Amino acid sequence: MKKLRRSIIAWAILSPLLAVTLLPFAVMISTALKPHVEVIAAPPRWLPTRLAWENFVDMWTVLDFGQSAFNSVFIAIAATLLALLIAVPAAYALSRLPMKGRGAYQQFLLVTQMLSPVLLVLGLARMASSIPFGDGTLTDTRLGVIVVYAAYHLAFAVWMLASYFATIPADLEEAAWIDGATRAQAVLHVFLPLAVPAIAVTGIVTFVASWNEFTVALTLLRDPSRLTLPLKIVNLVAGRYSVEWNQVMAATLLATLPVAVVFALLQRYLVTGLTLGAVK
Amino acid sequence: MAPRARAAALPWLLIAPSLILACGVIGYPFFEIIRLSLSDVSRFGQIRGFAGWDNFARIASDDIFIAALLRTLTWTVCVVGGTILVSLPVALVLREDFWGRGVARTILMLPWSIALSMAAIVWLWAFNADYGMINATLVSWGIVDKPLQWMARPETAFPVEVGIGIIVSIPFTVTILLGGLSSIGGEIYEAARIDGATGWQSFWAMTLPLLAPFLNIAIVLNVIHVFNSFPIIWVMTQGGPNNQTHILVTYLYELSFYLGRPGPAAAVSLVMLAIVFSATAIYMRLREA
Repeated sequence: MKKLRRSIIAWAILSPLLAVTLLPFAVMISTALKPHVEVIAAPPRWLPTRLAWENFVDMWTVLDFGQSAFNSVFIAIAATLLALLIAVPAAYALSRLPMKGRGAYQQFLLVTQMLSPVLLVLGLARMASSIPFGDGTLTDTRLGVIVVYAAYHLAFAVWMLASYFATIPADLEEAAWIDGATRAQAVLHVFLPLAVPAIAVTGIVTFVASWNEFTVALTLLRDPSRLTLPLKIVNLVAGRYSVEWNQVMAATLLATLPVAVVFALLQRYLVTGLTLGAVK
Repeated sequence: MAPRARAAALPWLLIAPSLILACGVIGYPFFEIIRLSLSDVSRFGQIRGFAGWDNFARIASDDIFIAALLRTLTWTVCVVGGTILVSLPVALVLREDFWGRGVARTILMLPWSIALSMAAIVWLWAFNADYGMINATLVSWGIVDKPLQWMARPETAFPVEVGIGIIVSIPFTVTILLGGLSSIGGEIYEAARIDGATGWQSFWAMTLPLLAPFLNIAIVLNVIHVFNSFPIIWVMTQGGPNNQTHILVTYLYELSFYLGRPGPAAAVSLVMLAIVFSATAIYMRLREA
């Protein structure tokens, strides 16, 4: 009975925030499934009279959704792999090896994490346009965006990986050395298998951050065939007099739901990782 | 190489790629911005010569910049303050053992996974004057008698943006605070209860002081994040109407890419970097303490 009382009080306190949190999802789903005439009927109602699945078909064509989703996935995966490739060895060094200048390196990481790319957009745009690539420059290429994302997610990845790595006992690797394994063999066969969950969680966070990023992509990408999903969707709204909100919400729903589901499933691990990072 | 020298070089070899990438992609643009801020730059980015402090003088006498600077202060204080005020009780409730805690926690974490630009679009639609659900709900509940033009007036648009800033910052903050709360053992509460402390007393005398380092981290990280937050305001009002919802980042972006004034834009960047570095210095202090 005590728990029942506690549960009622807890849900009562949380309910306003829960309502505000769920409202955007309700708005997205409701509008995405409404026929256009009901979207522009005043006063609006939550429930559509029929489910307008054609919104998804229409927005797929209008947005070139397949291509934009491919751009987003491609950029996010490549940026994540690049960031991990560079962050895993660095995090290993930071958590395992005696090292002169460790403090300086940690401070350097912290400083790069404080420098949001939005503060440097002008410099980033100039840098991209000064580096030759293919027929032109890095401006308006997916590669440019990938490298910038990897660089700005690096500090977070190293930080999170190093704090996870520190929780993997070093004894296991040392036992492998005694059995005659080299350092590299011990890392490959003993350490890395144990580090897979940590690398996976860090990778997922980096992927989601890249998938959701807006400012750098807005600055570097121009050609409609290379734009990522958030840019394409914002372009449907920004500076337009008539907006097809049912299509916009259908696109937003499709762009956010997969990531939200993955995130909901994994948030427990994420909480552990962040907490480790914050306390250390 | 001698084994000892190799052992000393190995960690540096492993961190070298991260140093190179960070220096290239963060260091070089930083250098470019310093150069631009001290130069006379054409609207197409051509450097025409040395300008000394001209660009800084120009933004110092720019009313929109000054207003945006003050509004950034309001924005940061209100969003971070509001976030902490909401997150602390939420974290305390989520620490309790109650039915459906996992569900509540998962729902509250959801906004974290949504891109800020997408959240901004959905809220923009929810606050639409004619067809948005907010006005529809307020009118049907009799709270207002006719639909409000939320985003057309800065007096309502900016507070709406602040509110959305708070909502999207809560998951991260609650996570940090929950981590802090889980590090406080249950025994001290047991001991306090035996000594006759009320719940309120143990909150003020134990929970809050023990949570202080985590509150500090949450505040400083949020300050830096919110200060740099671009998509919400850019997508919802682009700094308008009449430049009255600009914060420094949105004005910086407009100066750089829409108004064709790279020199003053670089000066705004440097002013912001100076502010961020001060905040970072405070953060470092807190980590050491």
